[in-house]
Amino acid sequence: MPADLLPPDLMAQLERLELVTRKVFRGRMKGERRSKKQGQSVEFADFRNYVPGDDLRSLDWNLYARLDKLIVKLFLEEEDLHVYVLIDASPSMGFGEPTKLEYAKQLAAALGFVGLVRSDRVVIDTLGQAAGAKGPVLRGRKSVARMLDHLASIEPTETTSLVDGVKKFCLRNRGRGVVVLITDLLDKSGYDAALRYLVGQRLDAYVIQVLSQEEIDPAMVGDLKLLDCEDDDFAEITVSRPLLDRYKRTLDAFTAGAQEFCSKRGLNYLLAHNELPVKTLLTNYMRRRGLVR
Amino acid sequence: MDFTFRNTLSPLQWGLIAATALGVFALYFLKLRRAPLEVPSTLLWKRAIDDLRVNSLWQRLRQSLLLWLQLLLLALAALALLRPGWKGSDVQGQRLIFLVDNSASMGASDAPANAQRLAAAKETVGNLIDQMDRGATGMIISFADQPRVVQEFTANTRLLRERLETITLTSRTTDLLGALKLADSLANPAQVAIEEGGVETPVVTPEPATLYLLTDGKFADVKDFSLGNLYPIHIPMGSLATNNLAILALSVRRSETNPASQQAFVQVANFSDEPRQIDVELTLDGIFLDARGAKVGAQEATGMTFALGEAAGGKLEARIATDSLTAAGDKLAIDNVAYAGINDIEPGKVLVVTPGNIALETALATDRTKRYGEITFQPPRILEEPEYQQAAATGAYDLVIFDRCTPKESPRANTVYIGELPPGPTWRDGENPAPKISVPQILDWNRAHPLLANIELGNFDIVDSLALPLPPGGVPLIDSADGPIAAVAPREGYEDVVLGFPILVAIDGKLQRNTDWINRHSFPTFWLNVLDYFVGERSEALRAGGQPGQSLAIKPVTNLREIEVALPTGRTTKLSRQGDEPFQLHDTDTPGVYTVSEAGTTTQRLAVNLFSRDESDIRPRTPTAAEGEAPTAITIGATAVGQAAPARQELWRPLLLAALVVLVVEWYIYNRRVYL
Repeated sequence: MPADLLPPDLMAQLERLELVTRKVFRGRMKGERRSKKQGQSVEFADFRNYVPGDDLRSLDWNLYARLDKLIVKLFLEEEDLHVYVLIDASPSMGFGEPTKLEYAKQLAAALGFVGLVRSDRVVIDTLGQAAGAKGPVLRGRKSVARMLDHLASIEPTETTSLVDGVKKFCLRNRGRGVVVLITDLLDKSGYDAALRYLVGQRLDAYVIQVLSQEEIDPAMVGDLKLLDCEDDDFAEITVSRPLLDRYKRTLDAFTAGAQEFCSKRGLNYLLAHNELPVKTLLTNYMRRRGLVR
Repeated sequence: MDFTFRNTLSPLQWGLIAATALGVFALYFLKLRRAPLEVPSTLLWKRAIDDLRVNSLWQRLRQSLLLWLQLLLLALAALALLRPGWKGSDVQGQRLIFLVDNSASMGASDAPANAQRLAAAKETVGNLIDQMDRGATGMIISFADQPRVVQEFTANTRLLRERLETITLTSRTTDLLGALKLADSLANPAQVAIEEGGVETPVVTPEPATLYLLTDGKFADVKDFSLGNLYPIHIPMGSLATNNLAILALSVRRSETNPASQQAFVQVANFSDEPRQIDVELTLDGIFLDARGAKVGAQEATGMTFALGEAAGGKLEARIATDSLTAAGDKLAIDNVAYAGINDIEPGKVLVVTPGNIALETALATDRTKRYGEITFQPPRILEEPEYQQAAATGAYDLVIFDRCTPKESPRANTVYIGELPPGPTWRDGENPAPKISVPQILDWNRAHPLLANIELGNFDIVDSLALPLPPGGVPLIDSADGPIAAVAPREGYEDVVLGFPILVAIDGKLQRNTDWINRHSFPTFWLNVLDYFVGERSEALRAGGQPGQSLAIKPVTNLREIEVALPTGRTTKLSRQGDEPFQLHDTDTPGVYTVSEAGTTTQRLAVNLFSRDESDIRPRTPTAAEGEAPTAITIGATAVGQAAPARQELWRPLLLAALVVLVVEWYIYNRRVYL
């Protein structure tokens, strides 16, 4: 089991966390979480009048004796949560130290671990997966090792565009749940269409944009021909203070635009960079955003 | 301030420079060499570049610091090639004549950076030559007391510059007129062709020429000169606030009271605006003799007398003390020293050949006349004796007076004939005897001649006289109604004075007066003048030397054909002569003492000194300026010559330096990748 993805001390901290969703979902199997849905568990939720067809087992006989009315006891349903982690494994994610993909894997491992510990249904996909090829569905603490192996096998070699990858993901996974998209959003065709797919899925979607430090504060000098690692595109620049300032303003505008896009459509947006520890990201930023608690 | 450019390149060459600029642009934008760098995505970079592009081209260019520096470098180089300059008059005209003053006063070191005026003038001319248009021709003439063509008209500016450097400072005085005449004759040769009808047409169409006059103006205004096609521009040299101390005269004379001893007279002048203490040191052959000091007022001169005693012959040197020079800020060195040669006192020898003339004997027997030397009276029969003939042939006498007698040959000496004509045909107008006239009426006499100085001749009568035919070069001394009755004429190296009338005549064995002149004051004065002229001052004046550049006439003591002269420069030159003419020494450019040796013995010392008030008063002429016109200091003929500022200051050197700095900055930025 690749230990660097999930160090033991992080695991110890993650044990105490659980994934939260604000939306009402129907889990397929009984889980360990109280659902907003009413169902069958030991936890009382409410009373209501009996209507024919109700399960007689849920009648509150004590109340019938006291009030001479048929009252049904309602219990909270406990169910599992579907957690999808969608990783962008395009070549652009292979930059940085550690690479953005490494960072994304660490983050996915941490989120997956939280989910597995809470018996949620965890699916870790990449954008490049074909529509029909489903990733392994993981459940329970015993699957942690499988999850880590799966993560370790992901390489930054996929050339699918963001929108195609999200579209295929949506086709593969019709169910509801929480989806965490970890990407750098640096796609020339734009991120709007891709994120709209997520909105349309009625998923509780989180977009975590991961940038490397060299993208945030480029340390380059001279006359350069910048080659895009994903296509044959290039940009000729002469590094100068105004150009760097202009780049930073462009980057700020880009991230601000993504954040605005997400917040307008009920998506959660988080900006991370590859030197921010995963632990801090989870325990501070994500807790504040309500993904974990 | 007059800021001008001077194009040095042809249109084709300018085109090349423009092409270079375009090339720099093209190379910059083509950017042949860019380091490739793989990045996650060019998305944001492209957006950033696009933003800049949208902003303006300027934004794009602003980043390209190196490009800008390269273009600036090119612009500076182009500007340097345009040769900007200021503070100068443009060179006017196609024909330029540069008249460069190289007289003694141009040696004053009051030009900027303590340079000599001549150096500054040469630099100015050099700049003007640089400014000459293509096809313009220039001529250089240097002038002091004599003009010299340094370079004829040529369009070859390199040649002009080379020849310009050959102008050297002289110790001479200034004469502008000669230089103007030379310039005029060279600029506009007066060649005419006479056609058959008799119409004169100039062969050469007169062309205007611009005359650049580089002088400090220390000369008299030129009156009688018409500039014609010459358009003069005066470029004044030197500063108006210049001080100079000068020795204007140094002479050695016998003392009036004690003929055996000598005195030196020094005249010093203070050409500054404040009274100055002037100390003069006197040395003889390098040995210090005496020093005197005097307080001399501004623009004044004063004399000093040094008693030399019975000084032996040698080189006398008077020098203004260094302290005085430093205190006054003296700028001209040449007039701080004066030279004089002290010659061993040799009393003059005068022979009077007379059958007996009490009047003449009395006139020549005064104490004053005895100072000039030994005066011997001899009867005419001595003329036949070989003793006299040898002495006469060797030039032993300074003066021989023939009273009513004539030798067979003129002696090698100055002579005075009384009542007779000298031997030979020159005074005889062929073979005709001079006509005798009776009671000539004196009309006029030559007051300007030193022989008749301080003499009134209108108050006596003459009984008989000869009407003198004037020989070539002769000057009448006394004119009568019937012609000259006294005259002086040169003969080889000597002069003959002829008085046509005897003073005493023997009638019936008794001496009688032929004129009552002997009763007048003018009679002894005349004989004193004769002694002074032939024995005393004149010879001393001759031995006093002259000014630099003037030829020295050296009258030898012996009758050698060849003498040696040691020059102050240390060189020795041999002179030879024809007949009894004095030796002529032309190489007298250096002030100092010229020592004459005859057969190995030093016989004379002649001094050459500047002694010119004009040259020593080195402050340039104060220009006067009418409103709106150039200031003028010199007048040539009726033309007031406008002054022009010195030639332009060139800017291309600092521009090239700036280009070099830009190059260094560019190199630094390229290597260090300095951000703008």
